[in-house]
Amino acid sequence: MRRFLTFTTFLLLFSLLLVACGGQGEEPTEAPVVEPTEEAMEPTEEPMEEPTEEPAETDGEASGDCANEEVFCVGLVTDVGQIDDRSFNQSAWEGVQQAEAELGAQVDFVETTNATDYAANIGLFAGESYDTIVTVGFALGPATIEAAAQYPDINFIGVDQFVAPEAPEGWEGDWPPPNLVGLIFPEDVSGFLAGALAGMMTESNTIAAVLGTDLVPPVVAFKEGYENGAEHVNEEVTIISTYHPGGLDVAFTDPGWGADTARQAIDQGADVVFGAGGNTGNGALIEVANHEGLYCIGVDTDQWETVPEAQPCLISSAMKLITPAVFELVQASQSGNFPSGNFLGEAGLAPFHDFEDEIPQEVKDRLEEIRVGLESGEIETGYTPGG
Amino acid sequence: MEGTIVHTPRPSSISRFLRNYGVAVAVVLLILIGSGISYSITPLRTTAVLAATLRASTPLALGALCGLYGERSGVINIGIEGQMLLSAFTAFLINAYVGNLLLGVLVGVLTGAVMGLFLAFMSVTLRMDQIIGGTVLNILAFGLTGYFYQQGLTTPGKLQPIPLGPLADLPLVGQVLFNNPPITYLTLLLVALSQYVLFFTRWGLRTRAVGEHPRAADTVGINVYFMRYANVIIGGCLAGLAGAYLTLEQVGSFERMMTNGRGFLALAMMIFGKWNPLGAWGASLLIGFTYAFQTRLQFMGTIEIPPQFFGMLPYLLTIIVLAGFVGRARPPAADGVPYEKE
Repeated sequence: MRRFLTFTTFLLLFSLLLVACGGQGEEPTEAPVVEPTEEAMEPTEEPMEEPTEEPAETDGEASGDCANEEVFCVGLVTDVGQIDDRSFNQSAWEGVQQAEAELGAQVDFVETTNATDYAANIGLFAGESYDTIVTVGFALGPATIEAAAQYPDINFIGVDQFVAPEAPEGWEGDWPPPNLVGLIFPEDVSGFLAGALAGMMTESNTIAAVLGTDLVPPVVAFKEGYENGAEHVNEEVTIISTYHPGGLDVAFTDPGWGADTARQAIDQGADVVFGAGGNTGNGALIEVANHEGLYCIGVDTDQWETVPEAQPCLISSAMKLITPAVFELVQASQSGNFPSGNFLGEAGLAPFHDFEDEIPQEVKDRLEEIRVGLESGEIETGYTPGG
Repeated sequence: MEGTIVHTPRPSSISRFLRNYGVAVAVVLLILIGSGISYSITPLRTTAVLAATLRASTPLALGALCGLYGERSGVINIGIEGQMLLSAFTAFLINAYVGNLLLGVLVGVLTGAVMGLFLAFMSVTLRMDQIIGGTVLNILAFGLTGYFYQQGLTTPGKLQPIPLGPLADLPLVGQVLFNNPPITYLTLLLVALSQYVLFFTRWGLRTRAVGEHPRAADTVGINVYFMRYANVIIGGCLAGLAGAYLTLEQVGSFERMMTNGRGFLALAMMIFGKWNPLGAWGASLLIGFTYAFQTRLQFMGTIEIPPQFFGMLPYLLTIIVLAGFVGRARPPAADGVPYEKE
């Protein structure tokens, strides 16, 4: 019987491990790479086996050989999650797809299923001499920096990866590396605008935010901006905001928690809810949509398009324009004007869509006033990065 | 005669009851008194926290019941996560295409049952290692839902709360207990029903006999294979219901990996509750409460505790229980051992 107790203990610890190692941890047997890239790898594997430079199969068609000077290849590595996540992975991929359509680039992506595979997935593209590699998400930062050092001929675009002014310890060579750019966004600005909108639209003077995790700086920026924006326009407003209690691995993929938390906020009198945290936030938006007369605000992209279930309540989204910024950087990489250090993308509010008539003109005017004020520096969002 | 096979905790004995569940009773009393005091100060917030507690506990309680039926009959089920996920997916699909919530729930339950049947086949008929069997279910569910997931599929609405007449107008309890969507009500009934079935019916006695000493049970003419199959499939139905809860009642949409470890957490709740439906339910409520309470703390914004601390609590509590601080947690003796007829 003791044996069984030990056994169950082991079992439990095992399951703890699985849960702790992440929503994805349970599938270690699954290859870290999904089908599309495997297919794409096959034709390119041949030239790897014969490193002698043969201009094989280059009949004017860009058909696979990324080592070829003529062929411009762009690879994208997602954060844990899917390419069609209706959130930031998808936005970045759309930028890459735009490069395919407009610049004739050959593009491909790898979906990361496990946080331990970041470096391996980047290596998949690097090993095939891709010209530009886009890594999406704050968590891929360290792996991207390492890859940039290892492959100096490849340009790296790190979405949401702030390149620190000082080189990491043990770094050799120039800092910041000339082949690495961190694409960052002023999330606090769009958060501030969203907060101002919420602060003006609330009738109960209680607004809520359901957030991913404070382990990711952009989420903190959204939150701080939101709270300060609401207080800027409405001194009496009460803001109740929550971060997901899990780690990086689950914080953005837990719509159930998002829905429960939004409901709890609504029960406490909140009438505008800001959902900022991937699928977790989407869960919150959909919950709000099930209650009449309440408003919700989405995040990252225009969620009117990406989460149609939330349309009954979605007055706007605090966007960061990832797609055009990624495209711009890919274009710069192709033309040889690749910037280094950090590249600041744009952020702002999404259109009001069906709520165009419901939102009073003075609210719109005030938002425009604030937007101009933020741009000129007259108004500050009150968020300091890293602080 | 069957009574001599297994040692049954006689619920009639108050002292034994207190020894077994003393801590649970104390916790429940503390929570009741605490919420009473809290309600008199801030009724709105107390109601919000308690209602959130119940909602967060529902999938955990159902998952724990699933694990419990299996293990009480001697089959370890670590595939609850997969059963929940795949059921959540099929329930969602049916609702999206057919537009019938009830049918969605039924298909979800059925999916869970089929996966239960599969697990029973692997562990009872093939006598496979049960941990591997459960892992197979998990990988299967992750793979299938990932592959067949369609973007942009939306469901027409989700299950709405049904206020239970005048009961819903009672202060505090009305909003918390009597104004819930259907699966939440059903869960409360199922917890009570499971407790009754397992400890007060012939079926329950046989189930436990098969889980404690299958050879002896076989000798007196109990069909061990049948009992194990049936219980694992019943468990599958419950996990399926938990899955349907996630997509059709809690969220109203499906996302890949949306179970997020709830199936494994449910297993912990089962152990925390000492393989006892009421205990597992209490454990689920406790964990639901820690979640709701931490949300409340963050809402206040005055007390700075990292949210991750609360995310860790359920696991910490389970280890404490397993380490024997709250009395001994003893699994059924034949748990995880395939039975071979001589």
